[in-house]
Amino acid sequence: MTSLLDVRNLHAFYGKTAALHGITFQVDEGSVTALLGANGAGKTTTLRAISGMIKRSGEILLREGSLMKSQTEDIARLGVAHVPEGRGTFAKQTVENNLRLGAISRQDKAGVAGDMEMVYGLFPILKKRRTQQAGLLSGGEQQMLAVGRALMLRPKLLLLDEPSFGLAPLVVREMFGIFRRLNKEQGVSILLVEQNASIALDLADHAYLIETGRIVLAGTSADMRNNEQLRNSYLGY
Amino acid sequence: MVDLSEIASGFRHASGGIVGVGRGRNRQVAIAIETIAILAILPFVLHPFFVFQVTMVLIYAIAIIGLNLLTGFNGQLSLGHAAFYAIGAYTAAIMMNSFGVSYFWTLPAAAVICFMFGFLFGLPALRLDGVYLALATFALSVATPQILKIHIFEQWTGGVQGLVIAKPDAPLGLPLTQDQWLYFFTLAVTIIMYVAATNLIRTRTGRAMMAIRDNPLAARSMGINNPIYKAVTFGVSGLYTGIAGTLGAIVVQFVAPDSFTIYLSVAFLVGLVVGGVGWLPGAFFGAAFILFVPNVAEHFSQGLSGAVYGLMLIVLMLVMPGGFAGAVRIVSSFLKKPSV
Amino acid sequence: MELLGQQLTAGIASGTIYACIALALVMIYQAIGHVNFAQGEMAMFSTFIAWQLMRWGLPYWAAFAGATVISFAGGVLIDRLMFRPIRTAAVLTQIVMFVGLLAVLNSAAGFIWDFTSKPFPPPFGADPLLGSRLVSTHQATMVVATFLLLVLLYVFFRNTRVGLAMQSATEDPVSARLVGIRVEWMIALGWGMAAAIGAIAGMLIAPVVFLEPNMMRGILLYGFAAAVLGGLSSPGGAVFGGFAVGIIENLAGTYIPVVGGELKLTIALFIIISVLVVRPTGLFGATHTPRV
Repeated sequence: MTSLLDVRNLHAFYGKTAALHGITFQVDEGSVTALLGANGAGKTTTLRAISGMIKRSGEILLREGSLMKSQTEDIARLGVAHVPEGRGTFAKQTVENNLRLGAISRQDKAGVAGDMEMVYGLFPILKKRRTQQAGLLSGGEQQMLAVGRALMLRPKLLLLDEPSFGLAPLVVREMFGIFRRLNKEQGVSILLVEQNASIALDLADHAYLIETGRIVLAGTSADMRNNEQLRNSYLGY
Repeated sequence: MVDLSEIASGFRHASGGIVGVGRGRNRQVAIAIETIAILAILPFVLHPFFVFQVTMVLIYAIAIIGLNLLTGFNGQLSLGHAAFYAIGAYTAAIMMNSFGVSYFWTLPAAAVICFMFGFLFGLPALRLDGVYLALATFALSVATPQILKIHIFEQWTGGVQGLVIAKPDAPLGLPLTQDQWLYFFTLAVTIIMYVAATNLIRTRTGRAMMAIRDNPLAARSMGINNPIYKAVTFGVSGLYTGIAGTLGAIVVQFVAPDSFTIYLSVAFLVGLVVGGVGWLPGAFFGAAFILFVPNVAEHFSQGLSGAVYGLMLIVLMLVMPGGFAGAVRIVSSFLKKPSV
Repeated sequence: MELLGQQLTAGIASGTIYACIALALVMIYQAIGHVNFAQGEMAMFSTFIAWQLMRWGLPYWAAFAGATVISFAGGVLIDRLMFRPIRTAAVLTQIVMFVGLLAVLNSAAGFIWDFTSKPFPPPFGADPLLGSRLVSTHQATMVVATFLLLVLLYVFFRNTRVGLAMQSATEDPVSARLVGIRVEWMIALGWGMAAAIGAIAGMLIAPVVFLEPNMMRGILLYGFAAAVLGGLSSPGGAVFGGFAVGIIENLAGTYIPVVGGELKLTIALFIIISVLVVRPTGLFGATHTPRV
């Protein structure tokens, strides 16, 4: 299995405070990898570090190229689509403009148009609301919009930060079903950050457990699910 | 059974805490006393013109403290404080000239008038934020000289030519020149108002003001009555800058409409930022800056004095975006390092 | 009634001037999220550049184009050197930076070209338009130019990728970066465009008020008021605001007794503020209900 994303000894800082203390993990080409852990463990920080949004040191390799010296926008243009905590939708723009913005760095008009149809196919409710202001959408719809926008980048790697947050269970299941389809049918690699461990492990191939800025456990999701002690102490079920 | 050792250790703990607080407090008081001592000697060693200039620094510092309370601590941007300064100045001038009141009583009168004016302006301004509030206060600055020039009021305001004010003598036959007396008078007022401001910031009212600045929605949900606090802060801010204007009129002995334009409001704002927003001592640095630097700029180049001043502002903002407050913070954290 | 008609026409005429500046202000507000307090001085300086180019022998339209291009570059430079380093600093720090820029431009212009008023040629002459008594060719030029600019800006923001990218860069720079928008370039571009629009506005205004370093002083205030009245997020609102301010100013000066010309500006401003109290984001500004 070739690795798509290779993170080695990553440290990350908020100002002078270190939030990640040298973590190492990989995301394989075509796989779904989950980062699990409690609130404040450093999961979101990891995604932010990959996207170059905070100060970091160490090494992050995307295929063979290092991301360490790149700005956030350049990392996005390399095909890393980040759906952040809080969705990051452009509230004042229409739904359709949000999707257009997802593809703003692309040159191929035909491809973009095709992708927009694909996104509307995945999320019909977005098509219904295409001319509405994004800020007026419900939480679930905004999450769909955020994912749709990320897909407009035609990403190699999809970074998802707590996609289940604040959503009703049915919506979450529908959303994760779509993630599975994207991964299996379109080969999109996914790095998933989740507090909801059970649904994350259902989707993921591999998982890592983060605790106060360090990786404390790694393995296939099957191993994680079967490890009863692990489930009781860390995953709460 | 009462455990004496527990009581004793509790006592030691408490007294240690008090001493700890005392140490910090003592240092601040020591600095203050040293500063005041130096300031008290100045009028006897400096040339009278410099005494006048230091007096003006103190006056502008009071004005900037007023602006700081509103903009720095309460988050309401004002480009209109020249208006309050003007109201204070003209209160003094009119009371002294038209009604023969002694200069001393013009201060409390100006305080009340300016507070009311600030409060009344603050009420409709409640709904305005940021740029929109800037425009509203900008309008205030623009309106002030124009209103002062209106014909109907000329018999009191002196119209375009303004009013000349008699310079007061030192009371009780004290062996001080007029400049020296006015200096000490101003110094006393400055100290009182500065201490009042620091105390205001420390109370619940001060914290409410800052809460409104940082997160108005959260402040409201904590039960803080935003409109009242914001309007009152406007009033207090006007009071401070108004008193500065009153003192300014007495010290300069002259008021005229074109001394109180938008440029004065901008100067106060520059003084606020250069001194450090949200840091009361910064007012003195800021006041010194806006009083002395334009003169320094003129020395560099007569024709380009504005450009030199502007350049200095630009460089200052690049190097010290937090004003003197920021510089002091960096220096003090640099000095603290080894002890940790 | 004739007086009213005259005042209205005069109001519309001066309104075009305010609308021009208001457009530039709204443009840069859309691009960088701040009001450019130095817009007036920048426009004035650009007009002086055009004037100087003509003194050096260039024909009008070459000077016009030259001044616009140089201003664009100047705007980008101002952003890179002065505002980019303090991008994350407090708003008040940025305002003082504007004050510094203002002072430099005003003083430099006075030093280089002195403070006497200079005539500046209108692009199409100032004769009465087709013999009409009400409107001169130049006034018509200003109206047409303002609307042209407005249409161009509208199309730019609504229909082009760069326009959309620029808006989002201001609205949410973090999310904009996450979709690959080079936010710093967008801001620099916005500055350049605002400087260029300012240059055009200045070159249209100078024939009316005569070219001198303080020519934009009063106008900037009216332009500012117009932009705010219309709502800072609306270019159309800015143009409307410009005409509204022009008309209000003239009517107030004529019809409100006692104070006449002296308080024209004050009254106009207080009318605008009254509007703001009722509609805090301007007449056409987007009301944004914050989701808690």
